[in-house]
Amino acid sequence: MASNEYAVEMRGIVKVYPDGVVALKGVDFLVKRGEIHGLLGENGAGKTTLMRILYGEIKPTRGEIRVFGRRVSFRGPWDAIRQGIGMVYQHFTLVPAFTVKENLYLSLLSVNPKARLGDAVSKADKIAEETGLRIPYDEIVEELPIGVQQRVEIIKALLRDAKILILDEPTSVLTPIEVRDLFKALRKLRDMGITIIFITHKLKEVKEITDRVTVLRKGKLVGTVETGKVDVKTLARMMVQREVVFKIEKKPAKPGEVVLEAKDIHVIDEEGVERVKGISFQLRKGEILGVAGVQGNGQRELAEALAGIRRVSKGRIILGGKDITGYNAYQRYMKGLAYVPDSRGTGLVPDMNLVENTALTNLYRILGWARRIKWDRAVEITSRVIRELEVVAPSLYAPIKHLSGGNQQKIMVGREIVREPDVFIVAEPTQGLDVAATEFIRKTLLRLRDNGKAILLISTDLDEVLQLSDRLAVIYEGQFLAMGRPEEFTIEKLGLIMGGVRE
Amino acid sequence: MSEALGSWFKGFLEQVRIRKRQYLLGALEIVLSALTGFLVAALILYFIGYDPWYIFEIMLTYGFSDLGYLGTRAAPLIMTGLAFSIPLLAGVFNIGGESQLYMGALLGLYVAYVTHNVWLGLIAGFIAGALWGGLIAALRVYRGINEVITAIMLNWTAYYTIIYIILVYLPNPKQSHLSVQIPVSEMISYGETFALAVVGALIAYFILYYTDIGYKIRVSGANPRSAVYAGFSPKTAIMASMLLGGGLAGYGGTLIIAGVTGSIDTTMSTLYGLGFTGIGVGLLGRNHPIGIIFSGLFFAGLIIGGQWVELLTGAPPYVTDTITGIIVIALSMPYAYRLLVNYMGRLGKK
Repeated sequence: MASNEYAVEMRGIVKVYPDGVVALKGVDFLVKRGEIHGLLGENGAGKTTLMRILYGEIKPTRGEIRVFGRRVSFRGPWDAIRQGIGMVYQHFTLVPAFTVKENLYLSLLSVNPKARLGDAVSKADKIAEETGLRIPYDEIVEELPIGVQQRVEIIKALLRDAKILILDEPTSVLTPIEVRDLFKALRKLRDMGITIIFITHKLKEVKEITDRVTVLRKGKLVGTVETGKVDVKTLARMMVQREVVFKIEKKPAKPGEVVLEAKDIHVIDEEGVERVKGISFQLRKGEILGVAGVQGNGQRELAEALAGIRRVSKGRIILGGKDITGYNAYQRYMKGLAYVPDSRGTGLVPDMNLVENTALTNLYRILGWARRIKWDRAVEITSRVIRELEVVAPSLYAPIKHLSGGNQQKIMVGREIVREPDVFIVAEPTQGLDVAATEFIRKTLLRLRDNGKAILLISTDLDEVLQLSDRLAVIYEGQFLAMGRPEEFTIEKLGLIMGGVRE
Repeated sequence: MSEALGSWFKGFLEQVRIRKRQYLLGALEIVLSALTGFLVAALILYFIGYDPWYIFEIMLTYGFSDLGYLGTRAAPLIMTGLAFSIPLLAGVFNIGGESQLYMGALLGLYVAYVTHNVWLGLIAGFIAGALWGGLIAALRVYRGINEVITAIMLNWTAYYTIIYIILVYLPNPKQSHLSVQIPVSEMISYGETFALAVVGALIAYFILYYTDIGYKIRVSGANPRSAVYAGFSPKTAIMASMLLGGGLAGYGGTLIIAGVTGSIDTTMSTLYGLGFTGIGVGLLGRNHPIGIIFSGLFFAGLIIGGQWVELLTGAPPYVTDTITGIIVIALSMPYAYRLLVNYMGRLGKK
């Protein structure tokens, strides 16, 4: 019987979000009891959506879910927890100001209101004994290293008698030694009969730890295979293979002099994790340097460090022959650098109108005597953005949140173009846009290149970087693992490097 | 100049056209809130044995009949309203308008008394308020101390310090419960007091909407991430907004002294509460300097009307305070609620 064999059976899962985005297009996902099951895919493949459905956070539009053979329909995570499902997020859900003990107690209370503080400790002790996941009980959570916090998070799930443990990209925040310890513990958990679902995009880890692996691509199931029977190349191909949707006419690049140079940049984030680990490159006039990679491998930190929003902990940044490492973002923008961020929530002020939003990075160009803002100048600039990028807006004075995503994106790109900077750092420029807007933005980038601008294009959309780039770098865990002309990368090779496998 | 004004006006009309719906809804919201407030107040009055209709009639007719007096009473409220709203635009809760006004009143009085020049007094009042507000901002920005807590403590610090200073260093030789007086020749008229308040509000409007730093303040409050992206320092925005807001509160403190009392009494009765009322003024004015001029006038009318109610009906002050309070809460609540939701949402995302 199926009920004996499978811990999780999800069949024909479809998820359409309220905004019309189809995240899952009928996925079957079967996890056997007591195995470590990898869930592999690029960004937007639907991994997280699938798991959030299993954990009861969101409801599937269609499809059937069985847990240990029983048909379930969760109203919320509390239902999933009661069925023995535990989830460990990338961003932890611990109370930072509480001690470990208090956090464990809190989570035990949610399943057993009569529990006492001592129960949490004795139960956790037993689990720690069996799994080798050692944790200090009396330390304040926020003072612990990330790796230890993660262990607390896992134990927290096990305290509630989780039989199925979902781990969302658990190694992305860990050091190699912590990864080794985590894997050791996961194997012990498997031996105890706990089923583990391991979400990742790292091929090496899939090979190392999983028994079987399911690959998703763009909301569809590519296949489920036994890890031992396939090599990483096959997995890479499964993950990234695609048909190119449309091609863009592209003239050969005529690279000029170097305008932006990064020398061994390192960036440490707010949590103290080193996100960029020594990246160096040169960017020339009239070329597009693409940076491909799976989200969360240091792209944002790299872009923000180049733009001056984040400090580099080490390394130098040179713009047009001048060392700008000590400049803030405003000064760098004045010196001819432009940055289009990966999120409109960062780049735009929703309640402000088009003119005020255009002024954001054009401020130094519209200041008059005594730092007075010349709004008529700002209106001129905004009108130019609207004209050149064919923005559809009810009025210059409409709050920008009333515009469609594509038009918002055009304002964000356009207000940089009209400043005529030498260097563009562009992150995810077509994220969430429809085909027409996407094509428009991509053509605009090529036109800028042909006009001699230097462009650093950071994108998790492989089609985009392959189509647009003159040179291509692949980022993985804060480093460029490879750099070359896009023709030099087969799709399979690209997939391997993005998954952290260097040949 | 006229061309600039023309383009400003065109922009203004366009703004009104495009946000017509929003403005209409806003107006509707204010009318409904006012009705709710008066209704609840009427019920309470009815149950404690007063004739609501009679009370409201006194409040509204007497409160708004003497325009000169109304403008004078509104002047400090407009200033403390701005003292609350300008920092709020930068994303900071300044409930220290109360003590910023005290400090401005004290230093303004002292300088005007010593120099025999009310203009120097007003400048001194601004500076005193700005420094007192700047202290809160500096503790927040450089030491990470919550501005609300600092402000509450500094309010009381200022309250007692001022009483002490008046009693010990600046007592009035003729009337022991008062401080020294500003020379009568330097007192300003009711009309001048209100006009100076309006000038203050207009300057605030100009700074917020037509200068570099005002724009940075507004961006920092509306979307801190965008401010960081644009390379604006959130610290500078917070400091600037608190210096400006505190300064205006201090300026407002000097305005009452120079326009009405000429001195500070040792029970602080002329100053007490103006800063707290300013919170309501700022919220009802929807954080906009021009709106705050009108909401300041409205509040002043309610307060004056309340005093007439006490005078004519013999109702105790807490009855009129309750009535004013209910109306104020009703009028500020919808907007305050939205601000709070916004603020909490932002906390959640961090």
